[in-house]
Amino acid sequence: MKKLISVLLLLCLVSLPLISLGDANVLNVYNWGEYIDKAVITNFEKEYGVRVNYSLFSSNEEMYTKLLSGASYDVLVPSDYMIERLLKENMLQPLDKSIVNNLDGLYEGVTNLSYDPDNTYSVPYLWQSVGIVYDTTKIDPAKMEEKGWSIFLDPEYDGHTYMYDSERDAFMVAFKALGYSMNTENSEEIQAAYEWLRQMDKAVHPAYVTDEVIDSMANGEKWMALVYSGDGAYILSENEDMGFCAPQDGTNIAVDAMVIPANASNPELANRFIEYVTRYENALMISSEVGYASPLTAVLEELSGEGGDYEGNDAYMPRAGYEKDEMFHDNETLKKQLSELWIKVKLHE
Amino acid sequence: MKSFFRMSYPYILWIAIFIVAPMVMILLYALSRTGNSTLTFQFTLENFTKFFRDATFMRVLFTSLRIAFLTTVFCLLIGYPAALFIANLSERAQTMMVLLLTLPMWINMLLKTYAWRGILLNFDLESEMKVFIGMVYDFLPYMIIQIHTAIAKMDRELLTASYDLGANKWKTFRRVTLPLSVPGIISGITLVFLPAVSSFVIPKLLGGGDYVLIGNLIEIYFLQAGDWNFGSAISLIMALIIIASMWLTRKLDRSEQEA
Repeated sequence: MKKLISVLLLLCLVSLPLISLGDANVLNVYNWGEYIDKAVITNFEKEYGVRVNYSLFSSNEEMYTKLLSGASYDVLVPSDYMIERLLKENMLQPLDKSIVNNLDGLYEGVTNLSYDPDNTYSVPYLWQSVGIVYDTTKIDPAKMEEKGWSIFLDPEYDGHTYMYDSERDAFMVAFKALGYSMNTENSEEIQAAYEWLRQMDKAVHPAYVTDEVIDSMANGEKWMALVYSGDGAYILSENEDMGFCAPQDGTNIAVDAMVIPANASNPELANRFIEYVTRYENALMISSEVGYASPLTAVLEELSGEGGDYEGNDAYMPRAGYEKDEMFHDNETLKKQLSELWIKVKLHE
Repeated sequence: MKSFFRMSYPYILWIAIFIVAPMVMILLYALSRTGNSTLTFQFTLENFTKFFRDATFMRVLFTSLRIAFLTTVFCLLIGYPAALFIANLSERAQTMMVLLLTLPMWINMLLKTYAWRGILLNFDLESEMKVFIGMVYDFLPYMIIQIHTAIAKMDRELLTASYDLGANKWKTFRRVTLPLSVPGIISGITLVFLPAVSSFVIPKLLGGGDYVLIGNLIEIYFLQAGDWNFGSAISLIMALIIIASMWLTRKLDRSEQEA
């Protein structure tokens, strides 16, 4: 008898995860890690009487692979070039503009971009540039502005440098430092950028890191680091010695935007979620929490203006409209090539 | 008997779907060119020649084998005396010790590795040293438990017999305990070496971006580069290494039993 009871109990325990299945009012959201104010989700759940199943990814490629493997989501937040690819492969559905009717307040710099010229499929979620966070007590801001990306070749900073471990961002730095487009397919330019990065590896022996750079720089562990502007905004707000530089050589402007996959099981609710997130008060909460720039003009003004959370924070507001800045385009062959070269840079070949 | 065999059908189906089918897909990917469509299947060995011709990849392979070997040797060096010590305790103390050893294994490996990352952050060590520490910590219990089981099930009378025949402690260990614990050593080596050579979470979290093992290489090609064909080829090469080392240890085991 005792045995029977314990077997039954075990069965109950094992079947526990099955209970939550088959709930019609569930919204599956797939977003970057540490990229939202959780209260926004809770409030949305309360307002619409639904449950949000919120999952996280750490790269566009990871999200894409998951999507290809058949996983179903209602809202995704990929970056620009990934949206370009998803559109090319007919994996998205147009937004219902009768529900998502609050796009008037969007900042001009992040709307009608080439990957989705009239925002039929996507609504910007947050946006950013790439720059250098540096310790102003160790590196003179004037020197930083003057040298730009080439500061990564200066042996003076040997052992004091972080490089972001992503072939895309590292090669962007090299391409821009050399005056090329970061979307180049010219093999000589790619080779030159590879040589530039190898030179960087020898000159400053950077630690190749990802998200750990945020806490390390907030603690002032190294003198300079390649970061996304949103992380830079957080670092600057934590450590007042830190400065942010978006080099004059040009940089990458990236937009992460909300889209609805073609196979979404709850597109109506997905549209409602997108509308909800784009409301002023919610966009304000999100941008204030994570430090990345909001797509809403009013929020940008509020947060970077007088008394705002990011007043006087050079990293918060990415520069818009600078001619040397570029966005990435989807190019799988190039990406493959750069990934392979990047392994060789990191392994000091 | 027949009806029992029928009961294994679901299991066979399970194996076919979740083990055989993915292996076949890896094989197909590894032997074809980029372009995920099966319609344009093009047979090629270039993924393999690319791997073996490139000095970087060979170095990654060599590093993986080296660290897995060092981890196994070190686990054996610490694990054997520890297992011997535990086996000589009272019955109750043994149960307690084995429980204490298995306790950390109930904690998710990711959590443990993150904890090590926090600890090692304060020490200025080479990446390889950090990964080595993490691996030894993680795999040591497998070694100890395997060896302990082998020693514990040994007939104690054999030791008494050995002493009666005039052998001293060292000779008894060398001639009785050690040979009888060899099966435990071999399964311990298998359980440490195989996960160590294919490990990717530990080097990723403890080693930093410039410490790449073969497991990380596979991850890079699947998730970052999006080159499933080359990624599959590396997976296949690793699978072959694992099969080869399993075959080797089994052969060792068998020749030991014959002797």
